[in-house]
Amino acid sequence: MDLRQYLALAIGKLAQFMLKISGSGATAAPGLIALKIDPNLVKKLSSKIPQGSIIISGTNGKTTTARLIFDMLSKNYAIVHNRQGSNLMRGIASALISKANPTGNIKADLAVWEIDEATLPQAIDSTNPKTIVLLNLFRDQLDRYGEVEITRKKWQEALTNLPKETTLILNADDPGIASLSKITKAKMVTFGIKDHKISRGNQTGVLDIKSCPICQGKLDYKSYTLGHLGEYLCTKCGFKKPNLQLFASDIDQAKDFSTSMNLVLGAKKIKIKYKLPGIYNAYNILASAAVGQTYALSPKDIAKSTENFSPVFGRFQSVQIGNKSVLIFLIKNPTGANEVVKVLSQQSALNLLVILNDNFADGRDVSWIWDTKWEALSQKTKKLTISGTRAWDMATRLKYANFNLSKNNVYEQIETSIEAATTALSNNDTLVILPTYTALMPVEKSLSKYTKIVKWHKQ
Amino acid sequence: MAQTVEGLNLKLKGQKFSLNICHLYPDLMDTYGDKGNILAIIYRCQKRGIDVSLEEVSVNQPLTTNIYDLFFFGGGQDQAQSIVGEDLLKKSDVLKKYIDSGSALLSICGGYQLLQKYFQTKEGQKIPGIGLFDAYTIGSNDRMIQNLLIETDGSLQTQIESAYPSNDLPSTSLIGFENHSGKTYLGKSLKPLGSVLAGSGNNGEDSTEGAIYKNAFGCYLHGSLLPKNPHFADFLIAKALEKNYGPVNLEPLDDEIEWQAHNKAVELTRASS
Repeated sequence: MDLRQYLALAIGKLAQFMLKISGSGATAAPGLIALKIDPNLVKKLSSKIPQGSIIISGTNGKTTTARLIFDMLSKNYAIVHNRQGSNLMRGIASALISKANPTGNIKADLAVWEIDEATLPQAIDSTNPKTIVLLNLFRDQLDRYGEVEITRKKWQEALTNLPKETTLILNADDPGIASLSKITKAKMVTFGIKDHKISRGNQTGVLDIKSCPICQGKLDYKSYTLGHLGEYLCTKCGFKKPNLQLFASDIDQAKDFSTSMNLVLGAKKIKIKYKLPGIYNAYNILASAAVGQTYALSPKDIAKSTENFSPVFGRFQSVQIGNKSVLIFLIKNPTGANEVVKVLSQQSALNLLVILNDNFADGRDVSWIWDTKWEALSQKTKKLTISGTRAWDMATRLKYANFNLSKNNVYEQIETSIEAATTALSNNDTLVILPTYTALMPVEKSLSKYTKIVKWHKQ
Repeated sequence: MAQTVEGLNLKLKGQKFSLNICHLYPDLMDTYGDKGNILAIIYRCQKRGIDVSLEEVSVNQPLTTNIYDLFFFGGGQDQAQSIVGEDLLKKSDVLKKYIDSGSALLSICGGYQLLQKYFQTKEGQKIPGIGLFDAYTIGSNDRMIQNLLIETDGSLQTQIESAYPSNDLPSTSLIGFENHSGKTYLGKSLKPLGSVLAGSGNNGEDSTEGAIYKNAFGCYLHGSLLPKNPHFADFLIAKALEKNYGPVNLEPLDDEIEWQAHNKAVELTRASS
């Protein structure tokens, strides 16, 4: 008997019980405590899951993609998943503890893990991954992760020794991700977008990769879909976008924030519709479809699961308050925020509430708001409200983007800002809230006073 | 108020100011939101009816002489910085001539480092800079990542006070966010931009931050710097105009939001240091 593991599990479970009766949403704490007692807990418990794990990582889209995958596979597998948000080792430990019995047997035959970019090497080492999904790498919280290239190099090291049975699902449109295909023996599945209506000759966002990740030569782009994603070719070593095994074409974005696309899976093609906006979500759909295919789902099953998907809290979610509605889009880095701005610029007469916090999980550095092209919304916004610890930085940014802004609509307290913005809203009108990460919980808490919404840590 | 009237008088005489900005390597040195500095200068010029133009000059593009009044040179990722460093050597003479004849320049982080004598990596490799600033930077294992608050150098304070067109300038300090691992050391005769009140600054050792050579300024202040330090933005605009028009008096703008952003950032910085 493994006494250390037994103790870690017992105390972890006790902590979960205590947090549950106190109604706390601190989901990572039991895992953190248990890992202090048994640092190998995740490795030990993961070895008992017959189908191993599916790991999803990348700067943007990992929560949505992990949930899409969970929904798709949950009919055929009993899945353990860090659905409650923490994507560090402690979050994995917490999820495992809640599915384990005292002797360490797990009531699951497959694990689906959303993994923080910096934690990926450790997660690969500990969770017995059979499938690894890598979505993208953008500049994000440079104060925490350092530069994009530093993260990419760490990933490269972690992937070098993967066994050839592992399946690596890569976003071929991102040169930083596609370059990882060169260094491993693992099976490869590539996905991307093939749609001339979406691809543009000029880049309109920020370019986080400017030179070839393999030889540092100049990258020439034929077209861009989003940030530095697109069709690229290295002028020096010839590295280029790999052939796509799975792709989206004829993407059609509707005004009600739903999307339809033709999904091409090898020789098969199927039309799907789903309730998520933006090109960034099209990539998440493709990544999850690639996993569905890897786990032998039929195109029809993939389409059906995607159509029934309901968005994750904060990653585009609609809440009703009487006859007023509230839409929430998480913003956390320039490329993600630029994509949200693009989606919103299709609308007119927006009521906008932007919430900028600078806590550790948001990134202490708020300079990224200057790399986001808010200008596209200045003429589309009817009423602007601003909040968060760095509300005045945001106000300055939007003032310099020529928004019509009154300093009376700046509230440092999130609760006050939501009260003011929803009160000022006309009946049948919509308030769009753009919070950074640590603002999400207070937004949920404030909104729950007006309406019954699903608590995100209980979803 | 006398300043404003003088400013208006100048305009009444039919003189229209114009200001030409050169953004150096914007495609490669664009990582930390430094673009806000350009937006701030353009916004503050346009509000005052100053004709402002912006040109971008990057790798393999020549730096034309006798056009620009104000240069901006931001920070970037390491890989981009080495490509830029090589190209900058070719532009060195022209850029130095500009500065010696009174053009203004703001450089931040990577840009600031490339304008020094050299950058020595952790491994000991020396990458030459153009030596506009008598300073050098040495790579270290400490990443200096935090809010950075400085009080500007004494003589600079006086100049900022006279350039900022309001009788009650709330502060002469500068607030931003630093994110670097290189430690910069200034030569004996080179003046720092200011002294560190919170954060690391040039090297985390001697309490200096940034450098001043004529109207060229270097620093580690991201943020973006100029939007929430409107006094420094106006000072740079005034310096850039001075070359062509002599001392100018800028019209005052409503900077309440900018100062709120400044003060809040200072408050958060002081609370956490």
